[in-house]
Amino acid sequence: MALPLSYTWRNLQARAGRSIMTASVIALVVVACSLLLGLISALQRTFVLSGNPMNLVVMRKGSDNDGASQLSVQAYQAIRFFDGIARDAADRPLISPELVVQPFFRTRDGGRENVLVRGVEPVALAVHDQVRITQGRMLRPSAHEAVVGRAVLGRYAGAELGNEIAFGQGKWKVVGILEAGGASFESEVWVDVRELANDAKRPFPYSGVRLRVATPTDLTRLKRRIDDDPRYALEAQPETEYYAKQAKSAGSLYVLVAAIAVLAGIGAGFGASNTMYAAVQARTAEIGTLRALGFSRRAILSAFEAEAVALSTVGFIIGAGAAVGLSRLLDWLMGSIAFGAATFTTNVVRLNVSLSDLLGALLLALLIGICGGLGPAWRAARLRPIEALRKA
Amino acid sequence: MKYLSLVIANLRRNRLRSVLTAGAIMLAVVLVCLLLTLPAGLDAIVENASSNTRISVHNKAGIVYSMPASFVRKVRQVDGVAAAVATTWFGGAYEEAGRVTFPNFAVEVEHIGAVYPDYAIKPEQLADFRRYRDGAIVGRQIMRKYRWKIGDRVTLRSTVWPVDLDFRIVGEIADEDSPYFWMNNEYLDQALKAQGGAGLGITGMIWVRAGDPSRVNSIMRTIDELSRNSEAETACETEKSFFSNMFGSLQGFITIMIIVTALVALCIVFIAANTASMAVRERACEIAVLKAIGFDRRVIFATLLTETAALSIAAGSAGVLLAVAITRALRMFSGWSEALGPLGAFAVSAPVVFQGLALSVLVGLLAGIVPAYAAARRPVVETLHEVF
Repeated sequence: MALPLSYTWRNLQARAGRSIMTASVIALVVVACSLLLGLISALQRTFVLSGNPMNLVVMRKGSDNDGASQLSVQAYQAIRFFDGIARDAADRPLISPELVVQPFFRTRDGGRENVLVRGVEPVALAVHDQVRITQGRMLRPSAHEAVVGRAVLGRYAGAELGNEIAFGQGKWKVVGILEAGGASFESEVWVDVRELANDAKRPFPYSGVRLRVATPTDLTRLKRRIDDDPRYALEAQPETEYYAKQAKSAGSLYVLVAAIAVLAGIGAGFGASNTMYAAVQARTAEIGTLRALGFSRRAILSAFEAEAVALSTVGFIIGAGAAVGLSRLLDWLMGSIAFGAATFTTNVVRLNVSLSDLLGALLLALLIGICGGLGPAWRAARLRPIEALRKA
Repeated sequence: MKYLSLVIANLRRNRLRSVLTAGAIMLAVVLVCLLLTLPAGLDAIVENASSNTRISVHNKAGIVYSMPASFVRKVRQVDGVAAAVATTWFGGAYEEAGRVTFPNFAVEVEHIGAVYPDYAIKPEQLADFRRYRDGAIVGRQIMRKYRWKIGDRVTLRSTVWPVDLDFRIVGEIADEDSPYFWMNNEYLDQALKAQGGAGLGITGMIWVRAGDPSRVNSIMRTIDELSRNSEAETACETEKSFFSNMFGSLQGFITIMIIVTALVALCIVFIAANTASMAVRERACEIAVLKAIGFDRRVIFATLLTETAALSIAAGSAGVLLAVAITRALRMFSGWSEALGPLGAFAVSAPVVFQGLALSVLVGLLAGIVPAYAAARRPVVETLHEVF
């Protein structure tokens, strides 16, 4: 026969002070873990959201990112007429030649960051269909105009609608604000591709092209055709794959956060066991009585495990609430958080603890509870009734 | 001293609890040390890598913008400049890795040694670097990582220039942490011309060594003045400012890390305070008896406090050692996996060791003081009353 859950609950209440102490330790671990997970998954999300499975990224063979690649006008003109590229209503191919440059931008507080500036043609909005101009309008070619991402807005001097922003050799008028549902395009500034090539004095006008394929089978076919074309030494890859590789830059941070979570979790587990061992010790007589009454070892074991799990659940609930609150507060205090990537670009993310981050923290909290409670529960179950009663 | 055995006996009476408490404190100290190492590591990297006489000259618009290769000759003529070298990002990926895993630059072989006298490159190796067109000088960190030795031949595939180049390693930068790979810029120039291109013609960054640290500021002003109104206006900055700017954009992440560190430290205090108060409460009767047979209040307070503090300090020391061991291990295994790579650069520094130990002392005192004070203050009669 199992012990009723109300027994466990009453026990927690009977030692309210200690229970709260243990639960708060677990809560703190939950807060730490979910904040860090939230930050990194926000970074990762910007990359994952950027890729479109129907888009191909074409770069020079051997380049691992936009910024390092070069592509000639001839190559662009050749690819433009390949079969299998999707077309818009006016029968123009959805292919966007782009130039990526990372100039310095002055931040509001006087620092400087490398920001990804993407030179585009108007067709870019059709190829990157997750990108929307939510305020203002799209830039006009040859007018020294710029459209800035939502995350860039307000972070750098002059990055506001209607203002002028200085980078490269000159000043650019901000005419629109771009949103992309959290994708990394929101950390970018878009300008006219020819003006950018001119400004950066690039010998090649493009760093790569992005194109939309008509059907999924065209994807592999076009990829093979571009990879095998001996004239230009180019390489095509699905956009999702390209951004998945970029997201690997967050790999070290994941290792770091996992290590922190594990260490903090073991520490909290020790604390939880300590409290539980004390509880078992203090309740020796009670456990002896229960055993004498006929409750099985398994019943005792599961009652104590239930207590530990209940403690960690309470800890998780407190911690999750605190984490969400704290992340809001930090977000409000610090604004956006910048990550410099190895490719000389800055990704700006906002701290946001999502449900999946909390799920990770919940797993950790339960693990702490189950492992931390196992030792004490085992000891309680193994108590011999006669000795336990005698001690009392 | 004569009460030492009492303290030890008390710690040993519930060994499991002492071990668990010590374990929790140890892990927390490990965490705090590792987290503190993060910003301290960045600071140390910047500090170690910089000299107070070196100046970085780059295009005002950004480091991905270039300057004409000829500009370095003008820079060399500036009063107070002891040496200047033009360097260009090669972006070479070592074939086995397939990605750019270490910074590699094409440099002017005649000038590089004079700009970096502190890198302790042997004169005969520099002479070889000048003699062999395909020579390369490589930092120890990279030599160790790929098990290269002087005389080896390696191929780098550029992700920026349309060339693959074969190199022979002719020398090394003696610093164990140096990640650089230098090649001859004429070798790159000729390879580009052989492809039918226009050759190098540009430079990404000029490094200048000032003869005298006090003249650094005036040299920076003069160089920026020289390029004013030209096609490529420059911005000079000291080497230290250049490297701190490179890491500057991780600032937000580090701030959050530090907040987390504070949370974890709070966590330790909770655990230790919890346990200490448990230990004292359980011994209420015993303490009352001690007092009844004439032990001084202060002695009781001191022994109880010592008990918590000793446990905490012992655990803290173990934690610091463990943190050092972890960073050592990361360093050793950093070559194994991409994700571990950058973490290998961090080492627990002396100030961090000190902070970790200080934290453990603080935790011991904070956690011990309240229950110890309460136990010492509690009237004997009251406690004994409760017990009997």
